[in-house]
Order: sequence, then structure tokens, then C-alpha cells
Amino acid sequence: MAAASRHVSFTMNVRRRVLDYSLAGLLLLLPALILHANIKDPSNLNKLDQAVLRVSSPLQLAVSWVVEGIGGVFNRYVWLVDVEAENRELRKENAQLARELSELKRKTIDYELVRRLAALRTDPKRQGDVVSARVVAATLNPYFRVGRMRVDAGNAKLQQGMAVIDAYNRLVGRISRVYGSYADILLAIDPQSKISVFVPRTGGRGVLSGLGKHDSYACKIAYVARGEGKEDKTLRVGDRVVTSGLGAFPAGIEVGKIVHVDDVEYGLFQKVKVEPSVDFSNLRAVVVLLSEPPPADPNRNKKKVSARAYGVTPY
Amino acid sequence: MRNAAHIGAAYVILLVMGAIWRLMPFQSIPDVVALFAAYLGLTARERLAPAMLGAVILGYLADLLGGTPRGMMALTAAVVCVVGHFVHARILVRGLSATVTFAFFTGLASGVFVLTIRAIYGMMPAGLWTDLPVLFGSSVLTALAGPIVFRICRALDARFARSYRERDVALDGLLP
Repeated sequence: MAAASRHVSFTMNVRRRVLDYSLAGLLLLLPALILHANIKDPSNLNKLDQAVLRVSSPLQLAVSWVVEGIGGVFNRYVWLVDVEAENRELRKENAQLARELSELKRKTIDYELVRRLAALRTDPKRQGDVVSARVVAATLNPYFRVGRMRVDAGNAKLQQGMAVIDAYNRLVGRISRVYGSYADILLAIDPQSKISVFVPRTGGRGVLSGLGKHDSYACKIAYVARGEGKEDKTLRVGDRVVTSGLGAFPAGIEVGKIVHVDDVEYGLFQKVKVEPSVDFSNLRAVVVLLSEPPPADPNRNKKKVSARAYGVTPY
Repeated sequence: MRNAAHIGAAYVILLVMGAIWRLMPFQSIPDVVALFAAYLGLTARERLAPAMLGAVILGYLADLLGGTPRGMMALTAAVVCVVGHFVHARILVRGLSATVTFAFFTGLASGVFVLTIRAIYGMMPAGLWTDLPVLFGSSVLTALAGPIVFRICRALDARFARSYRERDVALDGLLP
């Protein structure tokens, strides 16, 4: 009985095993047949394939969207670390090149300046000796405008009142204080500065002084006689202004151009505004004219009393 | 149900990998289908046919999602499943190193089989030498993915365990 039962069990097992392997063989054959049928034209999809792909495609899209979002963060913040380092390196190199370019430009300007200063020193028309000086400091106001500056003139003997011009023979100012080889320049744009100037076109004279504005280098010319309607006597915008030759400055040093003329109906003088030719914010070297300034007025501190004008006293 | 769960897990992994892998800088891809098929074959103790059915369906899905000629991955998965079934009595895939080694050879076998089919049907335009580095890279990546895939499979088996013993055994990687 038991043997028969074992035999039945064995037979069933064998059958089951045979069935299982047969099914497995079929399952092995099935994909082989599918492959053989589709290998020539893989793009041909049946309804089931299309259904599977229709379900899968939106899922793939969603997964792609999520993964690309995460991948984007990765690309930006993790894999771009090298790019960032390269970028930093390039920026550094760029800054260095910019510095070198700036230095070269500066040297070119310096070279031109030195050449002009040398030409000035050997200019036969220039009376007296000159000394070139380097601007070492400037008094800056909140608008970065220059009021006074300090020059290093080496061992030259500077004196108060000496005229200072730039390499292009344009008026800068005069020396106001001297300490050793250093000196302060009272610039022509300073309100305290008084320089006699001359307008070549009209022949008019006046006294140039600064307006003391923080936002411009404009100066004014005081005591310019009104033109009284005469064309050749009336100042115009654009007229060139030079030094007159009175005082410490030789004649003909360029001062600037008239930018505004207010020819008032009343009074004796015109109100004239002048824009200096020198760019004071970019002044790096100057020329000091070593010819001695005219002596100071010996009576400057004495109280002056005008002589009585006889004959006009009312009875 | 167990087979369906394995197929579902493999399907999700294939979807995710399809999205991830195009962002990766290398050509080789881990052969997840072969790993699942091998696992199904390894764990098909009594009956091979259900495991093979699962492997064939899985391979067919991989064909559809991957754009390979229909039947290629299905056939490969079926073959890997059969091989897995016949080696399960001789090897014990347990522990990290054994899993990695087994996964490497699974990937290699699967890749060689695919190459063979391609060679038979004349689908190797770049030549064998171009495909060999890809095959090797793919095997290495399959080896690396092996422990993760097998862990997922074992976790699924544990979910479908009929007793605590079966669950613990499944998690240990001894039996399904």
C-alpha cells in the first residue's frame, strides 16, 4: 500500500516536474519566437505593447521630471564645482591682465608726461629755470575734487608764490606753503587764489579765482570791464583765457575757456565763468617755475587811508 | 502575487533608471533585469515555470521600455532564470561579497548572451571590440547594483512569507 502510494506520489512528482519543465521550455521558446518575429522590424507594436507604453510613458515623464530636477541641482551645485574653480581662476587671471593693462596705460601716460616735461625744461622761450614735481597727495573733498595738493620737488628750492603749471603749459596754481622738498599748491580753482588773466580776443583783463564749488572746477573772472555793446570788447562763451603776465605767472599760460558770460545791465563789470583746461582730478606731475615771484607789497599790513579828494566835498 | 511584486519592483527600477542613466557620463548600464531574473531562478525551488514566466514578462517590459527588439531581453531573462535555477543548489548567494560576485557573473552572462544574439542576427555594427568594454562596465555596474536589487527582492519575499520563519529566512537570503 505504502509502496503503491509512493509510486503514485513519484509519478505525480515526475509528471509535475515534466509539466513544469515543459512550460519552462515553452516560456523559453516564446521569447525566442517573438524575437525572431520582431528582429527585422522592431518598430511594429501590437495593442498590448502600445497599452504598456501608454501607461509607462507618463510614469517615465514624471520620473524624468523629478530626476531632472534633482539632477539640475546636482549639475549646478555639485558637478559645477570644477567649473566654479576654473571660473575663479579665469577671473583672477582677468583681474591680473586688467591690472597689467592699467599699469601699461599709466606708464604710457607717464612717458608722455616726462617727454613733455623734458621739452619744457629745454624750451628756449621759457624764461628762468623750471623744476618738475610729482604730485604725491591731494586733499579730497566728498566729491573727490582737488583743492590743494602736495608736490615732491626733490632738492629744488621752492618758494612761496612760485607759479605752477602742468606739462602742457596750462595753469595749475601757485605754491602756498613750502616744507623741505615738499610744497602745497594753492590751485587756481581755489577761491583764495587770485591770478591776473587776459582774454586775447578782446584784450580784456581780470582776476581769476575759484568758485569753490564741490561739484565743479569752475572759476570766475572778476573785474572784467563791460563791453558796452562793442563786439570786440564783449566776452563770449568759448573765448580762450590766458595769464596776463602780471604777478608770478609769465604771460600766455593757458588758463581755460569761458563757459558763461552774464553781461548785466548795471554795474561796471561782467560776470564771467571759466572752465579750467587742466583736469585737476587727474594731475600727476607739475612744473614749478623757479623764477622768483615778485616781492610782496611792503605796505600790505599797513592801514591805508585814501587821500582826501578836495573839491568834491559838498558845501 | 510574489512574482507580480518582483515584476512591479523591477518595472519601477527600470523606469527610474531610464530617467537617471541618461544623465550619467558612462555608456554602461547595470543589468537589473538579469539580476531580477537570476533571483527568480535562484529562488524557484520546486517550480521553474512561474519564475520563468515572471522573468519573461520582466524581460518583455524591459524590451518595451528600453527599445530593444521585442523578445531579446525576454529571452535573455528566461535564460538567466534557467541558469539561476540550475545553479541554486550549488551556490549560496549570501553576504555582500558573494552577492557582488554572483551579480557580476550574472551581468557578464547576460551581456555575453545578448552579444551572441546580436552576433547571430548581425546586429553588431560597431564590432565586438567596441562592445567588450561596455560589457565589462555593465558587469561591474551590475555587480554593484546586485546587493541592492537582491535586498529589495528579499524584502519583497519577506512581505509574502507565510510564517515568521519564512520571513526571517527570506531576509537572511537563505530561502524564498
